[in-house]
Amino acid sequence: MRYWITILLLLIATTTTVGAPVSSYQEHVYLARDRVLPALVHIQPVVEDYQTGELKKQAVVGSGVIFHPDGYIVTNYHVAGKALRIICTLNDREELLADYVGGDPSTDIAVLKLRLQDYTGEIAVAKLGDSDSIQVGQQVLAMGSPLSLARSVSAGVISTKDRYFSSDYRLPSGEKTGRYNLWIQTDAAINFGNSGGPLVDLSGRVIGINSRATFMANNLGFAIPINVVKEVTRAILEGGEVPRSWIGVHAQAMQELENYFGTDRNTGVLIASIDPGSPAEEAFLKAGDIVLQINDQSVSARFVEELPAFYNWIARVTPGSKLKLTILRGEETYSFEVTTRPLGQLQGEDYECSDWGFTVRNITHQMQLSNQLRDSVGVLVTGVRRIGPADLGGLNRGDVLKSVIRVPITGLPDLIEQYNRLTDENPNKLLLTVNRNGAIRLIVLDLEKGVSQGDK
Amino acid sequence: MAVVVLLSVLSRGVVAQSFEFDQLYNQICDYTVTVKIQVELSFGTQTSEHEERLMGTIVSPEGLIVFDGSFLIEESPFVPSAGFSFRTTPGRIEVITLAGDKYDAEFVGVDRYTGFGFAKIYGANIEFKPVEFIPVKKFEVGDWFATYALLPEFVDPPLAADIGMVSNLITAPEDFPLTVGFNALEFASVLYNEELKAVGLLGELTDPGRSGGNGSGMMESFGQMEMPLLGVITAERLEVLIANPPRRGKVDRSWLGITMQSLTVDIAEFLGLDDPGGIIVNEVMPGSPAANAGLQIGDIIHAVDGVRVEVDRDDQLAVFQRRVSAMGIGTTAELTVIRPVGEQLDTLRLLTLLKAAPMAASDADRFEYEPFEMTARNLVFSDFLNYNVEQNSLEGVVVSELKPGGLANISGFRLGDVIQRINDQMVIGVDDFSSSLTAIESERPSEVVFFVWRFGKTLFINVRTDWP
Repeated sequence: MRYWITILLLLIATTTTVGAPVSSYQEHVYLARDRVLPALVHIQPVVEDYQTGELKKQAVVGSGVIFHPDGYIVTNYHVAGKALRIICTLNDREELLADYVGGDPSTDIAVLKLRLQDYTGEIAVAKLGDSDSIQVGQQVLAMGSPLSLARSVSAGVISTKDRYFSSDYRLPSGEKTGRYNLWIQTDAAINFGNSGGPLVDLSGRVIGINSRATFMANNLGFAIPINVVKEVTRAILEGGEVPRSWIGVHAQAMQELENYFGTDRNTGVLIASIDPGSPAEEAFLKAGDIVLQINDQSVSARFVEELPAFYNWIARVTPGSKLKLTILRGEETYSFEVTTRPLGQLQGEDYECSDWGFTVRNITHQMQLSNQLRDSVGVLVTGVRRIGPADLGGLNRGDVLKSVIRVPITGLPDLIEQYNRLTDENPNKLLLTVNRNGAIRLIVLDLEKGVSQGDK
Repeated sequence: MAVVVLLSVLSRGVVAQSFEFDQLYNQICDYTVTVKIQVELSFGTQTSEHEERLMGTIVSPEGLIVFDGSFLIEESPFVPSAGFSFRTTPGRIEVITLAGDKYDAEFVGVDRYTGFGFAKIYGANIEFKPVEFIPVKKFEVGDWFATYALLPEFVDPPLAADIGMVSNLITAPEDFPLTVGFNALEFASVLYNEELKAVGLLGELTDPGRSGGNGSGMMESFGQMEMPLLGVITAERLEVLIANPPRRGKVDRSWLGITMQSLTVDIAEFLGLDDPGGIIVNEVMPGSPAANAGLQIGDIIHAVDGVRVEVDRDDQLAVFQRRVSAMGIGTTAELTVIRPVGEQLDTLRLLTLLKAAPMAASDADRFEYEPFEMTARNLVFSDFLNYNVEQNSLEGVVVSELKPGGLANISGFRLGDVIQRINDQMVIGVDDFSSSLTAIESERPSEVVFFVWRFGKTLFINVRTDWP
């Protein structure tokens, strides 16, 4: 009896596998896989972390995709932005080193370049699609290394193509992100490690770069639209970063406020907030002004989803350009000229004062604004090592270091100079002056207390 | 009912303490009362009400009562930066004598240093016989005291006797006769010596190191997680409090108006001073007594009224703050100040007229606008510190309470928002807030637009109204 059952099962098995036709969906999945998977890269950067008051190296894992025959890879800034050393594993499992070319924290995009000298294989390049022509419900594949499991493919649909996130969201390295782009939301499984990997349509074109998963949720992944990525990578290949113009305005969706301001629907962008000392403030713009036109082109933001396009409008012009803003204020329309300035770096350079037991960051203008600092003179303390001299002396994260033994510190170069000089002189104690919440404070570091990392 | 207690004390061998408790009980009947206080507790978006039942003591012929008011102290150490605070609002107060007479009383205030609360009986046309405190020249370890504790409500009679002993004479951070044998439930109870004289109230020594260390002295925490240090709040201290009890909403503390740190041994060495101990001035508030006296950033306050400031650790700053705050509004203080001028140290004598310390957030005038289920209050000194902006650089009212699901809440308001404009009306204080909204309400518009400052940025908030 057992013999017969086995035969029967075998018969059923053969008929189902051999006989069933491959569905059109399945064919497309295979096609997309074959077009993009060879260009998929497993990325293992070693990144710098200064948060604990000392430079710590951390091995992280992410994904990326080759988009240029010279070996250029696009990935997330939060994967490789602060990388010291980057190891890439290609789809043929060959390991190569890569170099960081440049990045853009505002859109969370970074570009790497493979060191191809010793590579004998053939570099596959993924084709980039058009994220403006995608549709909700369209089937997609996500490729990458979820939880470090390389060469993984998952499938789903586009859940939303214009998801908005407030630009208060910060990358782990501290930069605010998301002001200039919307996200594609997908239910294709995206986990930690998928970051930087491609979201692919069924014709095998990359339509987004997967960058965010959601904690405690199922099938909520977010990708940066590829049209944003194309623009950003182009700028990075040209100059290592994305130059943006800045005028210092924060807009708010007009929905629900049209009645109050007496405007028609889909007319104008409401200025809700103006940064102190910004070109907008200098041009006498005010909160409550409604921008009807920029350089005679109409703009509007009724919904939050329209805000990134407005910010991009301004960001895209060459820094230093004069913008003509047509403003509705009360019932009158006025014309204002605002000269843009470069946005500059969101975060300054990090530095570790290991003998003193803390880390600092150079203060950029954008940091001054987002940390509500009165000026950008000094360096910001970003971490204090536990039981180090600075910790015992009472230095706090968030203090702004203004002087070391009464020598003023205007920026990071001053501090590095003093640090190097004093490390040679090797004094027992140091007097620091910091600014804490607007008040000056004296701090004494006893360099004989608190053992530095290097002495252990 | 005389109780004899036998106890072995090392230095004295076996001693017997004897208190005439019958006589004492008769004596306290005149002024010992049960106080029932209805309290509303709110914490931003949450509000609850409950009743506290405490023992109280009549301390003046007019019916002033002292009780354990520590639960009514409002500055919360937990949320210094949220722009709102934990707030307790005493409601109806009922006072019941041991004889069963009932009186209504109104809340007066709580002394932030001792935690003693004060209420005053009203509508009773009689002269009360208050407790009389006798100053004790010198407390000694081994002095015995008796007190009474209030028993739960289902028990009768309501009081139980207890005894305790001076266990240590603490001298730092201040003089304080520490006791052993009493418990925290007896806080603010009268202590009697063996002659049955009232020598003080059971109080607590708080750790000055729990101070936030800012110049305002407003972020001091009185919450203690460890074993309380109970002891005698003496007749001398009580006399001052009873003569001039703290009033809620009225600032009776004086201040200098500086942000400070202590002159530690290390810093003294760097500044070329051989003698540590003093107050380093880190910031001078505009318009403050310190500013008027010409105090500058970097100055070191070496002595006040000729008395040396011996603060050489930051956890002792509160001792200095308390000293200044107790000097009193309108008092002239003489500050001996060391001012580093280049390599040189100048010594100056500055006179300053002490002014009232800034009002605490919980004391600020507030207005609850019921249709939107939100409460806003005036901006106070500490708000500017919390918001990390210069003093008086903002105008408006602070959103201090929001009911969950209320109109303001669902329209996007957050606690700590500073309302600067309602429709086109400027809002500078709660009077503007209440009058604007009252005027708007009469027109019953379908929406009200607020212009709000929120941590360095501004925005508009539209409240879609829902008039009844």
